[in-house]
Amino acid sequence: MNGAGGAGGPASARSRGVGGPAGDKHGAGGAGGPASARSRGVGGPAGDKQGAGGAGGQAGDKNSLPRNVLAEGLETVRRAPPGALVVFGASGDLTHRKLLPALEQLSRRRLLPAAFGIVGVARTEMSDDGFRDLMASAVPDAGPGWAEIIKNSYYITGDYSHPDTFSALQKKLSELDESLGTGGNRTFYLATVPDVFGEVALALGKVGLNKPAGGGTARLVIEKPFGHDRETARELDATLHQVFDEDQIYRIDHYLGKETVQNVLALRFANAIFEPLWNRNYVDHVQVTVAETVGVEKRGNFYEKAGALRDIVQNHVMQVLSLTLMEPPGSVDAEGIRGEKVKALRSVVVPAERDVPNIAVRGQYDSGWVEGNAVPGYRQEEGVSKDSQTETYVALRLTVDNWRWAGVPIYVRTGKRLPKRVTEVALQFKEVPHLAFPKEAALGLNPNALVMRIQPDEGVTLRFGAKVPGQAFVVRDVLMDFSYGAAFLEEPPDAYERLLLDAMAGDPTLFIRSDEVDTAWGIVQPLLDAWSAGAAPLAGYAAGSWGPRAADALLERDGRQWRAP
Amino acid sequence: MTPAVESPGTPAAEGTAGTRDRLAGGGGTSGEDRGPQAVQSWSKQGAKLGEVLAALPALRRKAAGREAGTRTAVMTIVLVSSGPASSVDGDDEAQAAMSSVRSLGAHHPCRAILLQPDPDATPAIDASACLWRAEPRSGAGHPVFFEELSIRVAGQAASHLASIVGPFVLADLPVVIWFPASLPDPADPLLKLASTLVVDTRNAAGQDDLGHVYRTLLDLSSTRPVVDLSWVRLQPWRELLAGLFEPEHNRHFLEGVRLASVKGKPGPRYILAGWLMAQLDLRARELSLADAKHVEITLSAEAGEEEGTFEVKRDEGSRAVWARASFSGGLCHNQALPLPDSSLTTALAGAVSYLRADRTWERALSAAATLA
Repeated sequence: MNGAGGAGGPASARSRGVGGPAGDKHGAGGAGGPASARSRGVGGPAGDKQGAGGAGGQAGDKNSLPRNVLAEGLETVRRAPPGALVVFGASGDLTHRKLLPALEQLSRRRLLPAAFGIVGVARTEMSDDGFRDLMASAVPDAGPGWAEIIKNSYYITGDYSHPDTFSALQKKLSELDESLGTGGNRTFYLATVPDVFGEVALALGKVGLNKPAGGGTARLVIEKPFGHDRETARELDATLHQVFDEDQIYRIDHYLGKETVQNVLALRFANAIFEPLWNRNYVDHVQVTVAETVGVEKRGNFYEKAGALRDIVQNHVMQVLSLTLMEPPGSVDAEGIRGEKVKALRSVVVPAERDVPNIAVRGQYDSGWVEGNAVPGYRQEEGVSKDSQTETYVALRLTVDNWRWAGVPIYVRTGKRLPKRVTEVALQFKEVPHLAFPKEAALGLNPNALVMRIQPDEGVTLRFGAKVPGQAFVVRDVLMDFSYGAAFLEEPPDAYERLLLDAMAGDPTLFIRSDEVDTAWGIVQPLLDAWSAGAAPLAGYAAGSWGPRAADALLERDGRQWRAP
Repeated sequence: MTPAVESPGTPAAEGTAGTRDRLAGGGGTSGEDRGPQAVQSWSKQGAKLGEVLAALPALRRKAAGREAGTRTAVMTIVLVSSGPASSVDGDDEAQAAMSSVRSLGAHHPCRAILLQPDPDATPAIDASACLWRAEPRSGAGHPVFFEELSIRVAGQAASHLASIVGPFVLADLPVVIWFPASLPDPADPLLKLASTLVVDTRNAAGQDDLGHVYRTLLDLSSTRPVVDLSWVRLQPWRELLAGLFEPEHNRHFLEGVRLASVKGKPGPRYILAGWLMAQLDLRARELSLADAKHVEITLSAEAGEEEGTFEVKRDEGSRAVWARASFSGGLCHNQALPLPDSSLTTALAGAVSYLRADRTWERALSAAATLA
């Protein structure tokens, strides 16, 4: 051992509470530099009002807590604070397929704390060891950290309507606070069928688990669908708010966890060149496409009650649209962004029921060919009624009443069994006011377009005209491409990984606020009402096509056409 | 001398085409990537700089298909070989560094320039250039093309490398200068081109006066960001130790550290010790340093009446790193994680993701300079 002791240490370092080695402009904790452990002030930047923090471990959550000086310089990494994650529906498909793999990835990326425990709750009879086996089987090639997390995981078998289930949960969580040091921080994840959301929330309230314990935090995470229509969404909200405050509720739309959806914000508000063009003066119209090649797979029973409008438009499309249409936020924090998103949604004109046939097309896929495979029609799918009236395709023409977007139509289409899996938002710009070239020289020229590709080839494309090399003056469209994967080394996290971490760290930015849900339902409710009243016929389309002919006609009436993504 | 135009699949290309490095980012889910493929190459001994400049666009023109016309790049990276080399591929460490840069190609494409100065040889410039194609990681999207250039500069010009490399630097993008096997001379005019320097303090571990080396690096960091690959490699250890102090119960021990024991090879040992000294305001006599094959950190601390031990170590024979906190009261936290990838590619990926000054490293180095 070559002890570093003796008098060789920095002479003035021992001025506890003052600073580190002096006399060096890079001095460790010297004047002007960050103070060291013994001179730190208490607390740190606050997280949410429950004192969440967790980002880089920098936040001093509790008032008298010293800052974690060893986490300094690691701020680029957001980590979950100590805590317990309670998963309702722990024996279900969502837990097995999404949540557990996402947690293992968080562990592998060193983003979970050492003081971390999982409690699974479900009706299925299972022991702690049975749950641990299930956790292991969900991630067969897990890293060594997963075994440690499994060791700190427990399972409670119980009915959600029985108080004993929640008393047992309360007891287990207190034990974890003692044995693991989870600090009273609890995240309740409802990976259950939506019918029991309210029941579980109320039961948590009855045993006091809705209130932060011992200075910790209590958060409730719920998955879409948030209600079946506007009325049931409001009922659910009222139930949740009986026991949880709005800032404790984290509503997940996994689309918001996608890096490229978040990149819409970066593209718009971190660049000066796009925003001046991002308005009615330059944009002719906007097209949002969410296209899937898959059919309903094994979700026929669920899809029959949902349809494309509820399954995609009310949530995913509205979220992407609100980020595209919103005004620049004062600050890129949860309330700054969510406030502007709601304002944007409120500016979308709610269609009158009588106008629905003119602004909306609904379709249902017939048999056809997709990606080289013959596929059945929707009505031949498992769990689907032979005379089903459920739409698998929706096209909409929306308008927005505000200064930025007045007169700019927003065309939305989403569907199953379309030719290509693609999600994108395209801003189609206006034509040049006067084309100086002969018409025949610009036959291959279209108006500029800026396309934000959300999946699968994430990136941004700008279409503009360029001269074709040669003696003649001919202009043609060219694309300038930014590919998200070809510029950054960091592997983008899976959407569930990102959202689970955000919920545990107390960052609600990428979660949907109550008024967002309500406003989005407000936009689609007249369509639901009109369709249930038989106001618009269900148009068929061949699987593998881009939708019904009526959808093309929707744009042709305005002298426009759908893009070929 | 006549230029030699090589077809795809040259020995150099074959040596790297199968490169399968996992990228940084905490063990993401990308799986393995197919390594970049050499598309076109060119070389000439006794070349004029203008010929090398002309060769780069010519490679793209010769490459089959329209795609190669698109250049994607996020930076220029200049690798400076240590000492003279008898040929453009004579320096193993520099070639390994170049291979690492290439492995990042699909995700972080850059123009890479390997400089091999040889001041004592007969004046000449020997150069080779290669155009590489990397497939996107998920199969979706477009292939990425990027260029690689090796220039052996013999004679007096070897002392004026800035004039050689200047014309090849891509406009408007960061210029990273990397010294894979040595540490830069602060007086080297080449450094003026750098927006960021990449060094590896591990390379200095054998030097007599490490303190002087650390102070030199601190001087360099006063004018531009310096990224130390050794520091990047140590990040998982720092994260794990910091993570042990996240629970409220444990946080109070940070103010009562009595002894910090750091084991490891000299470079990482001194820097980690410097980090603890600076961040925890420890005196040198509160540190215990020992030589060991693997890094190991143990903090002994007290909070009130309670004593706690916080350690991050790799168990012998295990591929996992353990972070443990144990207390006189009986409470114990354990966290095990996969052994971090210590490859050059992963360290480089960590270094070039954030090209910025790291004040924590500077404080650690400053304190380490007093220990070494």
